[in-house]
Amino acid sequence: MGLRGVGFLLQCYLMLAAAMYFELGEQEEKCIIEEIPEDTLVTGYFLLEPWDLKKATRSPHLGVTVTVRDPNHEIQMSKRYGKFSKFTFTAHASGQHYFCFQTNSTRFSVFAGERLKLHLDIQMGEHAIGHDAEKTKDNMETLENNLGHLIDQMKYITRQQEYQREKEDTFRQISEVTNSKVLWWAVVQTTVLLSVGFWQMKRLKDFFIAKKLV
Amino acid sequence: MMIVSAELSLLACLILTVSLTLGLGTNQNVEFTFLLPAGRTECFFQTAARNDSMEVEYQVIAGSGLDVGFTLISPSGYRLVSDFRRSDGIHTVDATEDGDYRLCFDNSFSKLSEKMVFFEVIIYSQSSAGGGQDEWADLALTEGMVDYKLEDIRATMDSVYQRLERTRQVQTVLRAFEARDRYLLEDNLWRVSFWSCLNLLVMIAVSATQIYSLRRLFDDTKTVRT
Repeated sequence: MGLRGVGFLLQCYLMLAAAMYFELGEQEEKCIIEEIPEDTLVTGYFLLEPWDLKKATRSPHLGVTVTVRDPNHEIQMSKRYGKFSKFTFTAHASGQHYFCFQTNSTRFSVFAGERLKLHLDIQMGEHAIGHDAEKTKDNMETLENNLGHLIDQMKYITRQQEYQREKEDTFRQISEVTNSKVLWWAVVQTTVLLSVGFWQMKRLKDFFIAKKLV
Repeated sequence: MMIVSAELSLLACLILTVSLTLGLGTNQNVEFTFLLPAGRTECFFQTAARNDSMEVEYQVIAGSGLDVGFTLISPSGYRLVSDFRRSDGIHTVDATEDGDYRLCFDNSFSKLSEKMVFFEVIIYSQSSAGGGQDEWADLALTEGMVDYKLEDIRATMDSVYQRLERTRQVQTVLRAFEARDRYLLEDNLWRVSFWSCLNLLVMIAVSATQIYSLRRLFDDTKTVRT
């Protein structure tokens, strides 16, 4: 692997350790929802650890199954990883994607009912500042990397704004449909009410006349 | 062999923790949207360093009632924030302690409806100014060859970066607002259609029942008479 590889791995590990984490029970599946426009690259870094690092005497065989569902709830990607890895995913459709994480540690190697914690960091777009950033000695390359990151941030913001505009259009259409439906139903109800009222009165009058009560 | 290298890397991690955390210094921004099932409490943990500033913002996007309980517990166990059944909230913690902050979302008051909650944690790292100095010190050596002061470029880039980060955060929040409004509207559409249909059916049923009972009344009287 080499010293550089180990160093970069350590840096990843460390940055991830400062990220958010949540509790994951054994065989439990927890999902994160992300609203993503299409053709966006999503990179996720995760790290699975026992809840009490001091109490874990031996490192059990831990694994994570990552399942990604698209807006139609169909499974778009389902892969198994070790306890520390990254996954990438490109969204084909715009909308809400579900990222689900499930541990699949084998029962006999983990203490019964042991709590695990999952560190998670999900980033969108390429060139995200992250865990791949290699600290090079060359200053111009650092400058280039930073500029590349800025450009990518701007592209991401623009893309999100476009997506927001598309959604607002859909939203406006639904508003108009709701409004016209409310109006239409109110008119239909009033018509039905009036016609039924008239029909009732007419039938009753005819009935009373027929029975010679009036 | 594997166990040894894992232990070694873990030890190296622990040793390097302080130095690397000081050196990284970027503003961390974590945002998640998740489904909170009915009657459950979900907790998220965020690591913070000393004297950083942390901002937590959350919003309920979907779920009847659009409210959730929120608590923020510091690493030493103090309950810093306790919101009961609010639909959105924003809290700032200045001068954070070193350790893991616990954010808990509480949906135990609801038996049936699950809530979709969006939350965002922004950590303003105090060391961001200090961390950048090292890499730029070397660049300053080649400054004599360029007309433009590298210091100006650095300052501009930093400012652009901060502003873009802020734009991104604001955009995320606006996205959450829009998602909430959209869900609400779709619910409204369904509700309007459903209740209108039901209302119509009830009206027709009531009118039919009225006619039928009146006729029965008269038929019975007729039989009694004769």
